Amino acid sequence: MLAAVLLLFGSCEPLATSFSDVEDAVMYSKELKTTAPQPDSTLKVMTWNIRFGIGRQPWFGDACGDNTVFRKDEVIPGLEKIVTRINQVKPDILFLQECDVKSNRTAYIDELQYILDHTYFNYAAYVSEWKSEFIPSDGLGRMDMGLVILSPWPLTDAKRINLAPRGDQAGIVNYFYLHSCIVTANVKIPGFKEIPLLNIHASAFATDDTKKKHFEEFKAEMDILNAEGKYFISGGDLNELPPGSDSTDYCYEDMCPGESFHQPGDDPMHKDGSNYTPETEWLRPIYEAYSCAFPLGEYQQNQPAYFTHTTRPGHTWDRTLDYLFTNHRWRKGSAITHQDFLTESDHAPVSAEFILVKE
Amino acid sequence: MIRKLIFCIILIGCVSSGFTQETPLLRKWSYNTAYLVPAGKWESGILQPFRYGINQKLEVYTHVPMLPFIPEAGVKVAWGIKNDFVLASEHNLSVPTPFLNVVSRKGIGGLISPEYDFAFILSVYNGLAVTRPIAPKVLLSAKAGLAFAIRAEKPDPQSTIDLPVIYPRMAHYYEGASIRLGAAVKGSLGEKWFYEEGVQSFIITRPENNFFFENTGTLMWAVGKSFRIRGGYILAYGKYPYVTPKWQLWPTLDFVFGSK
Repeated sequence: MLAAVLLLFGSCEPLATSFSDVEDAVMYSKELKTTAPQPDSTLKVMTWNIRFGIGRQPWFGDACGDNTVFRKDEVIPGLEKIVTRINQVKPDILFLQECDVKSNRTAYIDELQYILDHTYFNYAAYVSEWKSEFIPSDGLGRMDMGLVILSPWPLTDAKRINLAPRGDQAGIVNYFYLHSCIVTANVKIPGFKEIPLLNIHASAFATDDTKKKHFEEFKAEMDILNAEGKYFISGGDLNELPPGSDSTDYCYEDMCPGESFHQPGDDPMHKDGSNYTPETEWLRPIYEAYSCAFPLGEYQQNQPAYFTHTTRPGHTWDRTLDYLFTNHRWRKGSAITHQDFLTESDHAPVSAEFILVKE
Repeated sequence: MIRKLIFCIILIGCVSSGFTQETPLLRKWSYNTAYLVPAGKWESGILQPFRYGINQKLEVYTHVPMLPFIPEAGVKVAWGIKNDFVLASEHNLSVPTPFLNVVSRKGIGGLISPEYDFAFILSVYNGLAVTRPIAPKVLLSAKAGLAFAIRAEKPDPQSTIDLPVIYPRMAHYYEGASIRLGAAVKGSLGEKWFYEEGVQSFIITRPENNFFFENTGTLMWAVGKSFRIRGGYILAYGKYPYVTPKWQLWPTLDFVFGSK
């Protein structure tokens, strides 16, 4: 046991990776490149939390499951479904969250390389948000999960921007836990102005104001680009409801067998990550400053049409967590919440067409 | 590269040589040589096994702190001295099943995913050791052995603990046999200080994740007649399931108690 303790905490190479405020992204490219399209006026962008390719299977961390790791023959069919949908929607730019790269839980498959090899994208920028040589908890083992920007055109100046650490976790847990971040890159399409791209995965389970900090940091990055006169596309899994949502507490929906919430004596009173009630206005500054692919007014008139997430395997979407923003314009009527993609992930992708700005 | 490294480390030990016989060195640190603990004497570390000399030809050993988790028993048999070469054989049986089931759990300490249950595994090791004094206060030892497992059923290949030092020692529980080859040079730096520099390789008889190498360096301080402190490093190389072979450096520390 002592040997194990020494090994876990004594390596000269740290077991869990810590991140600087800003780091270069890891760049991927396809060996045999496809011909990049030449858009005439719009660029289709999609964001999708792909849940590391396990579809709607019950994982211990977010769906009341018992399983931690999945076999190759469970993950590859999940990835096949994802690439089928990508090739069907054919976004020009794709933001992914929860993409695993050689993680124990997904049979050490490089999911990003798989997606790159099975789609028309030529380039990708990857940043880790959860990276550890070995997590000595729940059998997680080696972990490398991250955010991706995929493009048929070359991506430049790709960076990882670190977001505030969770303020509600013990130090040792935080050491091995995921560190939320943004991946940024620029894409240059011939004939059009360069477009900065920002993809975020905000904290899912923080119970303090960590998420609020993430939104402020995300908006600050957009504000910089806006002040520079650049037209950007941003988006991702913000793990937050739009302002004015009718339902803001999902403790009962997310409750696992044996759990109890909202009852006298329950501690905690709410399930971590399921009670959005204190957070309902946290996204408003972004909505007010920039253009969401789904304007708030449209969402508020028919909320279920824009739901993108559920924790419950076998259930349909019950809340909106995924977004696309710009400081320019979306083509009217182009935004789609792909709610028919029910089995590929616990998130539905969102796509919209950005109006390109000529040089 | 690995062969060169092994050769260099052995060479460094050899060039510091002259020829005579041990004594304080063997009294304090016969572990990892072909010498046995003297009859009626014992020693034990936290990492090093408990060793007890039954007689001049037989030593028994087991890892006491791990005994509830990995029931284990080993014997070391002396085969005599031929042309200054001390010969011994080692034979060990262990059952790692309780340990694997204990660390296959939810929450902190879950080194293996809780969905795995391990059936009975019996690990068997047989090996030979040879030691020769190569200088007034220096011993050169070499070891070769084979570890294999008798399993009620083959464990899932994703239920391994993918950490250096641990993974190669458990590899044969899952698939293949483990061929272990090693050499070490051990010497005295005065009455109370001792050193050991060693190399060990693990060749697993299977197509993937099948080669591991370790270089260890240890300094030992004999604090008293019955208490020693050891510290050093393990430089580990391995082909782990996540494909990228890698080198890693780890610290080591152990406290050894024993008969005066």
